[in-house]
Amino acid sequence: MSASPQGRETDFETLRSARFRKEREAGWRRLETLIATAEKSGVRGLSYQETLELSGLYRQAVNSLSAARAISMDKALLTYLDRLCARAYLVVYAPQESIGDAVWRLFAQGIPQAVRRSGVALLIGFLAMALGALIGYTLFQRDPAWFFTFVPAELADGRTPEATPAYLRQTLYDTSNRSGEVLGVFASYLFSHNTQVAILIFALGVFAALPSFILTFYNGLLLGPFAAIFINAGLGWDLFGWLSIHGVTELAAICIACAGGARLGLAVLLPGRKSRRASLRDSGRDAVKLLILAGVMLIVAGLVEGFLRQLIHPTEWRLIIGWGLGLIWLSWLTLAGRGGKAS
Amino acid sequence: MTGIQVAPGGRIDNFIPPEGVPITFNLASRGSRLGAQILDILITYGSVTLFIILVYWSGLMGGAPLTALFLLLTFFIRIPYYIVAELVWNGRTLGKRINTIRVISANGRRLTPHQVVARNLMKEVEVFMPITTLFAAQDLNTWAGLVIAVWMVLVLLVPFFNRKRQRLGDMIADTLVVDMPKAVLMRDLSDSAKSTERQFVFNPEHLEVYGQYELQVLEAILREPPKSQDGYDRVRKVTKTIIRKIGYTDPVPQIDEWKFLLEFYKQQRGFLENRHLFGDSRQDKFHADEGKRSQPEAAKPAKSDAARPRRSRPPRRSE
Repeated sequence: MSASPQGRETDFETLRSARFRKEREAGWRRLETLIATAEKSGVRGLSYQETLELSGLYRQAVNSLSAARAISMDKALLTYLDRLCARAYLVVYAPQESIGDAVWRLFAQGIPQAVRRSGVALLIGFLAMALGALIGYTLFQRDPAWFFTFVPAELADGRTPEATPAYLRQTLYDTSNRSGEVLGVFASYLFSHNTQVAILIFALGVFAALPSFILTFYNGLLLGPFAAIFINAGLGWDLFGWLSIHGVTELAAICIACAGGARLGLAVLLPGRKSRRASLRDSGRDAVKLLILAGVMLIVAGLVEGFLRQLIHPTEWRLIIGWGLGLIWLSWLTLAGRGGKAS
Repeated sequence: MTGIQVAPGGRIDNFIPPEGVPITFNLASRGSRLGAQILDILITYGSVTLFIILVYWSGLMGGAPLTALFLLLTFFIRIPYYIVAELVWNGRTLGKRINTIRVISANGRRLTPHQVVARNLMKEVEVFMPITTLFAAQDLNTWAGLVIAVWMVLVLLVPFFNRKRQRLGDMIADTLVVDMPKAVLMRDLSDSAKSTERQFVFNPEHLEVYGQYELQVLEAILREPPKSQDGYDRVRKVTKTIIRKIGYTDPVPQIDEWKFLLEFYKQQRGFLENRHLFGDSRQDKFHADEGKRSQPEAAKPAKSDAARPRRSRPPRRSE
C-alpha cells in the first residue's frame, strides 16, 4: 500500500478499491499475456522463468479476487478477476502427466489391480457367456430348429445343421490361398467390429447391467448351436482348436467388457451407503480399466484371428498358441502391480 | 458428492480450486455442445474421407490395404480421437475449440486421464449408437425398434433433465462442460470523474438511500455512453429519478447530467465500500427496512458473496 505522506491528497480523490486496482493491474496484464501464450502452445511454450512467473501471478490474482470481493463494488473489476482466475486455473491445472507415463502406469498397475477388485463382476461376465453357450447347446440338441432362431443367416454362412461334414471341415481349415493383404483387411475389420461390440456391451452396463448381461448371454447363445453342429459332425476337437487360437482371448475380452458393464450396473443397483451418482463414479474407475483391457485383448485377438488362424492349421499348434496366450493374460493380471500403491 | 451448485442461468457458484477461492464458471449451453459434437463428426469423417480419396488418387495404395486403412481410421475417429484430443488439449476437441467450450473436472482438481477416457467411452452409447441406428433406420418398423428409438432419444436428452447439464459420461467421470472464460478489463469508472474541484457534492443523507444492487445497475448504465437522442433521454430519466429519490436540491444543468451520474457513482461507491468495511453491507435500497426488522442482523459478519446482487428479492413485507 502506498501510504506515503504526499499520497494523502490522492487518497482523498481516488477510492480505496480504485487504488487497489491500480497497484495490481500490471501483474494481471502480465498474467493475461502468459495465459495467452500457454493456451496457444501449451505450457511448453513458456520458458522456465515464465512458468515460475505464471504460477506466482496466478496465486496473486486469486488473492486479488478474494480481496476484491471483500472491498470492491466495481462489478466490471470483479467479473474480470473472476474470469482471469478461471482462465489461469485452466492453464495452471492442466494435466501434467505425459501420455507415455499414464499408459505405463495403467498397464503396470491400474488394469491388473482393477481386475482383481472386480471378482463379482467378472463372475457375472463369464457366467453370462457360459450360460448362454450351455442353453444354446442343449436347446439345439433337443430341436435343431432352434438354430435358426438364434443365428442370423448372414452369420451362419452356410454352417447350418444340414451342412455336410466336408463343408464344415473346409470352413475350419480354409485352404484357399489368402494373400497377406486380404488377411490385413480381415484383421482390421475384426478388430474394429469386435471393439465396437465390446464398447457397446460396456457402456450399456450403466442401465442396471441387464443389457450387458443380455448381449453377452446372446453371444454365448450363438456359440452353443455352432459348437453343437460341429460336434454332431464329429469335428468337435477341430472346432476346439479353431476357436481356441483366438477365442480364448476374444471371448474372455467380451466377458471382461461385460464385467466392466456389470461394475457400472451394480453401482447403480446396489450403491450401498453412497449416492447412486457417487457410487457410479467410484466404480467407473475400475470399469473403464476393464474396458481398456478388453480393447487391448481384442486387438491381439483380431491379429491372431486375421493372420495366425488362417496360416496355422494343426489343431495342436492352434491350441498351444490360444491357451498360451490365455496363460500370459492370466499371469499378467494376477501377478502385475502387486507391490505399488493402489491407483 | 461434490457440492457444486448451479444457478438457473447455468452459473456455477461454488467451484473451488485448490487455492480455496471460489471461481465462477458458466456451463456451456446444450446448443453449443451439440454444435461442437456435430462439428467434430463433420471434421473427423470429412478428413478421413478426404484422406482416403487423396491416397486413392495418388495411387500409393489401392484395394485391400486401402480398405484396411479405412477400417482402422474409422475406428480411430470414433472414441480414440476424442480421448486423445481432450488429453492433449486439456479438455478440448476441435469442435469444442471452435465453439470455445471445454471440459473441466467438477471436483476442482485437474482433469485426469481416467475422467477423459470414461466420459468419452460412454459416447458410444449416447451419440454413435443412436446415430448409426437412426441412419440405418431399417429396424425401426417393429414396435421393438420404436422402443429402442425412444430410449435412445431419452438418453440423448439426459443433459436436459439435470441442472449440471451432464450427459451420462459426464456423470461417471464427474466432469462439466463450461464456456471458455473471457477476461476483459474495463476501465474503472471512478477514475473518469476527474474534475479538479467537485462540481456536485453529496451529503451522507444523499448516499444513505441506495445499496450495492442499484450501484451496479448504475455502473452498467455508465458503461455505455449515450449515442442517440434515445440514449440522452434515458440518461435524463435516470438522473431525474436519482435526484428525486435521494432528495438532491442543487440544480443539475442538462448538459452536465452525465458528469452528475459519474460523480454520484463514484461517491456512492466510496460510501458503500466504506460502510461495507465497517460491517454494514447494504445489498440494495431495502437495507434500512432490514435493519429495522431485525436489529441483531447489523452484527452479522460480512458475507463473502456480498459482491453479488441478489436479484430475486422477496417483496417488502407489510408490517
